[in-house]
Amino acid sequence: MPVIQVKRLVRDFGPDRVLKGLDLTVEEGEIFGLIGPSGAGKSTLMRVLTGYLEPTEGEVAVFDRAPTTFVSADRRRIGFMPQSFVLYGGLSVRQNLNFVAGLYGLSFLRRRRRVRETLEFVELWDARRKTAARTSGGMQRRLQLAAAIVHEPALIFVDEPTANLDPILRRKFWDEFKLLRDNGHTIFVTTQYVGEAELCDRVGLLSNGRIIAAGTPDELRRQAFDGEVIELTLAGDPGHTGTQLEALENVGHVVEVREERDGDGPVSRARLVVDDADVVLPKVFETLNGADIRSADVLNPSFDEVFFRLVRNE
Amino acid sequence: MGALLRVRAVAAKEFWVLLRQPQLLLLLLAGPVLIMVAFALSFEVDRAKPRAVVVVEPGSEGEELFERFQDRFTVRTRFQGTVQSVEQADQMLRNDETDAAIILPPDPSESVRRGEQAVLEVRYSSINPIYGTTVPNRANGLVLDLNQALVREGIARELEDAGTAREAIEDLDRQLARVNEAAESLATPEAQAATSELDSTLAELEQTLEVLALVESGEGEEDVDRSLEQTRQAREQLAELQEAQEGGAPSVKDRIGLTELEQQVGLLQEQVSEIPFDVPPRVLANPFRLDLENLAPYEPDALGFYTPATLALLIQHIALSLASLAIVRERLSGAYELFEVSPLGLGELLVGKFLTYAGLVFGVNLAVAAVLVGTLEVQVLGGFLRLAVAMMLLTLASLAAGFLLSTLSRSQLQAIQIAMLMFIASGFFAGFLFPLDQLGQPARSFAYLLPATYGIQALQDVMIRGQWPAWTDFLGFALIFAISLAVARHLMGRKKV
Ligand SMILES: Nc1ncnc2c1ncn2[C@@H]1O[C@H](COP(=O)(O)OP(=O)(O)OP(=O)(O)O)[C@@H](O)[C@H]1O
Ligand SMILES: [Mg+2]
Repeated sequence: MPVIQVKRLVRDFGPDRVLKGLDLTVEEGEIFGLIGPSGAGKSTLMRVLTGYLEPTEGEVAVFDRAPTTFVSADRRRIGFMPQSFVLYGGLSVRQNLNFVAGLYGLSFLRRRRRVRETLEFVELWDARRKTAARTSGGMQRRLQLAAAIVHEPALIFVDEPTANLDPILRRKFWDEFKLLRDNGHTIFVTTQYVGEAELCDRVGLLSNGRIIAAGTPDELRRQAFDGEVIELTLAGDPGHTGTQLEALENVGHVVEVREERDGDGPVSRARLVVDDADVVLPKVFETLNGADIRSADVLNPSFDEVFFRLVRNE
Repeated sequence: MGALLRVRAVAAKEFWVLLRQPQLLLLLLAGPVLIMVAFALSFEVDRAKPRAVVVVEPGSEGEELFERFQDRFTVRTRFQGTVQSVEQADQMLRNDETDAAIILPPDPSESVRRGEQAVLEVRYSSINPIYGTTVPNRANGLVLDLNQALVREGIARELEDAGTAREAIEDLDRQLARVNEAAESLATPEAQAATSELDSTLAELEQTLEVLALVESGEGEEDVDRSLEQTRQAREQLAELQEAQEGGAPSVKDRIGLTELEQQVGLLQEQVSEIPFDVPPRVLANPFRLDLENLAPYEPDALGFYTPATLALLIQHIALSLASLAIVRERLSGAYELFEVSPLGLGELLVGKFLTYAGLVFGVNLAVAAVLVGTLEVQVLGGFLRLAVAMMLLTLASLAAGFLLSTLSRSQLQAIQIAMLMFIASGFFAGFLFPLDQLGQPARSFAYLLPATYGIQALQDVMIRGQWPAWTDFLGFALIFAISLAVARHLMGRKKV
């Protein structure tokens, strides 16, 4: 049963339509990444899902309930990390987390235990007495994440947790998400870093108010290129290799042929789009029997490229 | 050049930032102007007149007197009518339904006849050392005016009644005229010549008679002696006359009119003796005396009087400022979104903030009050329990109003600005600078929206009058508290559309 189910969601701000009929499903226990350019409506969608904003049209169900009708038992199952630091700069790290734990009604003993566990989890325990305003941006972000998970919610919304962080800290955040996921939490995370899609279990691409593609990273890649891509490099003069490549049309679809020279003479680089590279690759060697194959690799295109193609195809 | 560009950049930025906050600009400019206009429209000089009732006993001389001089009572007060008993008037004073009770004695003439001033008692209830003198001043004026009117009227009546005296005076006048005439004519030179001629004739007669007396003896001797005696007397009288003639008319007058004048004076004295001579002139000139009585338990000095009002303004301002930032700050920082997503209810959020702010404001101001009492010897006649209750109520009402303000504000600056305007408005309208009842509309209505209006009254009741605040003040606090919170809660609960 999906944790989040959205159908034909529309959200307007005055005359501006930000979400234009959006469908989305998030399953229990997965990291769902919502990827989209700035201003696409990622935060808006998240606010609708948490019940902060009302949908203009469409159906939204989180835990099988419209978020605007959440009761406090529902809210206790949800954690939320906003895009910016909204806690209190004047309070210490631990006071801040204590406050949030209190908001979720954690009893004294559980609060003590969870505050410590959570601060240790985000590696802020040593900085617990520091005034929040005097901690670094990355520490504030981690404190904000701690605030989203201190009450052990089943579903965690994280809005651009890694924006403007260094690669090492970004990696740490994703490691933490994976840990949480492995402990049974469902994570709904937005990001502008397309590359981070690779780290999600499933990804939705939000563009111009719609989910233009959704699935596992592999599925998206396949969708971007209509299949998998094998990159071939053949040596020989262009006329000869051209005939050889034409022969490949019965095992796949040849795209992007480029003629180049390397140290030994002319080479042709070509991309072959196929349904299943593992099945097709032996056939490629068979078909090209006798050709001077310099290399044949299953291409793993960067997600930037995938994203770019999907948006362009739209 | 570079500096100029940089300054220009900052100036332009500030201009646009301000222009982007039209409400703030409006508040900044229009707020104080509106307050001043409302004040100008509402401050009525006529309202400086105290309200007054007159206590008279029906059918008494006092009532008759009041009816005769009614305009003198009504011109210097906002006259509310007559009542029949002092108790009723006292009740009205205590309920602040009137400012002064003018008590007319039932029988003022009786007092005057006894040689005592009649007492005009004026009761009022004021704790204000600055504006509280209105009633005493005006009461003094009333008594002065009343006395003058009575004396003037008395003289006119005397003149009418005094027919006999006037006749007697006219008589006297006529006699004096006659005496004057006679004196004038006797003093002329012809009269003097005639007199001296008469004198020499009398002298010759005297000599003849003397010779006759020496020569003649026997039967005719007695007659001659008598004639000689008469002649000598006549000559003596003539000598006196001549002497007076030489002294002029007045000396003559002396001699001629004396008897008649004496008679006239006797008559006048008889008439004058009917006037009661044992009434001192002071009483005759001022038949009424003012007796002022202030029902307020004590009249503080300026410090004592302004302390409760200052405390009330302070409490309202601190509470309002604190609370006005409470919601808008969280909303702007984004923490509010965190609250919305969490199980925290809006009511819980408000109550939580309330607890801390109320404790803080209340504690701080109770400490301020304690310092005032300890060091400046300001009195708290009603005791600290009443003071604490009144301060707490004012704190709660002000905090509630502040929360409402906070939900309405778009920015922290705006919230602070409104709080500041409320502070200024409270100074003008809540009874701090001017007594509330000197204000008309629209300020009056506005005043009743301010917690400080009830706060000033309540704290004055407690600290100066030594009593619990009026139920109307309790009601005012309760209404501001309940309505503000209900509206604030409603506005906060609204989803952002
Ligand atoms: N409260 C609001 N009132 C009016 N317009 C809004 C409001 N919130 C968001 N928008 C508009 O909705 C659009 C989407 O905003 P949103 O914050 O959802 O984008 P986003 O995808 O989260 O962008 P980013 O990656 O930069 O955070 C923007 O054009 C924004 O201007
Ligand atoms: Mg966003």
